[in-house]
Amino acid sequence: MPFGHLLIEGLAMGACYGLFGLAVVIIYKTSEVVNFAAGDMAMFSTFVAFHVLAVYGYPFWIAFVMSLVFAGLLGVFVEFFFLRPAKNPTILGLIVITIGAQLLLAGVASWKWGAEQQAFSIPFSYQVTYEIIPGLVISQWALAVFIISAVIMAFLYFFFKHTKMGTAMRATQQNKHAAKIMGIRTNRVFAFAWALSSVIGATAATLMSAKTILDPQFMMEPFLRAFAAAVLGGLMSIPGVLIGGGIMGLIENFFGYAWPAWKPITAFVVIVLVLCIRPSGLFGKHYVKKV
Amino acid sequence: MDLKKTVLTLLVPLFVLFLFTGNGHARGERGFDDNEIRIGQWGPQTGPAAPWGAVARGSKLVFDMVNDEGGIHGRQIRYFIRDDQYNPSQTMAAVRELVSRRGVFAFVGGVGTAPGLAVQNFLRQNEIIWVGVCSGAAAFHDNPWLWNIWPAYFDEGSILAKHAVENEGFEKIALLYQNDDWGLDAMAGIKARLELHGLELLTAVPVEPIERDLSSQVARLQASGAEAVIGIMAPTQAAISLRTAVSMGYQPQWLHSYNLCDFDLMNHITEGLWAREGVITAAFTESPYADTPQMIRYREAREKFAPEERWGMNYLAGIVVAEPLVWALREVGPELSTAAVRDALNSVTEFQEAGPVLTWTADDHRPPRSLRIWQCGPNGEYNVVQDWIENELVYEK
Repeated sequence: MPFGHLLIEGLAMGACYGLFGLAVVIIYKTSEVVNFAAGDMAMFSTFVAFHVLAVYGYPFWIAFVMSLVFAGLLGVFVEFFFLRPAKNPTILGLIVITIGAQLLLAGVASWKWGAEQQAFSIPFSYQVTYEIIPGLVISQWALAVFIISAVIMAFLYFFFKHTKMGTAMRATQQNKHAAKIMGIRTNRVFAFAWALSSVIGATAATLMSAKTILDPQFMMEPFLRAFAAAVLGGLMSIPGVLIGGGIMGLIENFFGYAWPAWKPITAFVVIVLVLCIRPSGLFGKHYVKKV
Repeated sequence: MDLKKTVLTLLVPLFVLFLFTGNGHARGERGFDDNEIRIGQWGPQTGPAAPWGAVARGSKLVFDMVNDEGGIHGRQIRYFIRDDQYNPSQTMAAVRELVSRRGVFAFVGGVGTAPGLAVQNFLRQNEIIWVGVCSGAAAFHDNPWLWNIWPAYFDEGSILAKHAVENEGFEKIALLYQNDDWGLDAMAGIKARLELHGLELLTAVPVEPIERDLSSQVARLQASGAEAVIGIMAPTQAAISLRTAVSMGYQPQWLHSYNLCDFDLMNHITEGLWAREGVITAAFTESPYADTPQMIRYREAREKFAPEERWGMNYLAGIVVAEPLVWALREVGPELSTAAVRDALNSVTEFQEAGPVLTWTADDHRPPRSLRIWQCGPNGEYNVVQDWIENELVYEK
């Protein structure tokens, strides 16, 4: 068994799932809405980078920054035009709205960029590798994934602990009405959460696009895996999601090596098992409300 | 009680009317008049399988050319494309609509095994001519109203394995396959061929059409020590597995299905690896860039009628499925009827234009059993490394 390869690839893919899972968790933490449009928002932003790169010929980093700016605006747009107008919305109603947004984005992307697959190169090659210790080879892409995930994780830790907006987001999640009374403009908090989530999702999708092929469906499967990682780590725990992603990547890679036919269902088995045994996830806190 | 009587009085005549009223096309000959012949095709124009939607648009080119030349015996072809998103329930809805509301005379093509199977019985019961379903599944081969062109997946597997062993000299062969009837039929063909040579598949690793991370599958292929890998899967998974293998330093000879013989597309999405690794595929058409008079005519027509379309294998596949029907419609003369076109298709002998050599009889509508082997050249060329090879092995399911 190529243990080293499965380990590194599993952890790198897991970090991508974790990063993408963060996009889901940030919105869930502030509004308790599971954003089913997260995959297609990330896909759309990646296509914007592809468009800037392929059509206008700008260097990758300019295209990437432009796609992140677009992702932030897209997040605000979806929150402002899709979710905010809903009158007396239930959580389920908001989730259904995100499904509608997902279908809309998939349709627009197919219309704009066509259904045929596209190659999208990023500066971190999947084919440039370094042998860190004998038998343990790491690709430039995997290295970039680890570094970017760590930077984003550190940023989020600082953001939620030490910034006003981070504290406001936590307060809004705990009690929206109390937060409003305390002077927090919760609508702005929601819009910011959607923008932040969209930017992190776009970063994860750009990293994943180096390993796969760009088409309007390319984030469909990673979204399911990321969601499973978020459930595994705990939908309320940011470090939990990254660790959940890592575990998910490792399980999938080793399981997929030993029993390839069962690999695609691993994510769903994980979701079911975790929900049965520990509904709040491995690192999530289980709150019990007294009535 | 009165209400019940009123409802019954209204509903019963409506029901009787519904039962006995025709749909406007049911009486007499359906699907044509003195001015037009109505032909339909379904295909995924949107959704995950949308790249295959070019097949339906490729058929349109043939009909546009026919209409431009004045039609067939004075009749223009009116062609309907319906988007089924590769979803069998939508295929059924589209086909019902085309048959009952548009009064379609015949269907050509139709991408996919599952969508095709969903409508096969309906079309058969309604005795509607259907030429060239885009699937090599054996389940289509005994339908008297369907004339098959797509070579059987069993034959494809057998021929790819034959080429790998006899022409390339490989003995250690593994398989990476899509986990459905396509992959399983091809696997049966590969195993049957290898058995004939006293060999066994080293490993057969399944992939699902939505999977995007194939590291563990490729690691398994590498660990098996296979020097050649036969791939039966969609373009996205083929591209990902090739890139993953190269990055792991694993460079076997890849041999892929005829569904991946669009070298332009594959080179584009693998950023040239398809050419660099010299990937081999099966094929059942002329090269899209062949200098045959027929292919030159199609390329010129594409520039005239559909300049926005990419000239690729999916588009060419649509041309291939439309050709025999156009030939049969011309053959029957001005006295058009379903029976006459059926008889004309049943008399097709050694017919070849852009596709494979076709021969059908009243009792045998199976596809040809021969395929060619192409290899992607260093600059993306379509090199023929072995011309038509026939599979002589029999599929025993």
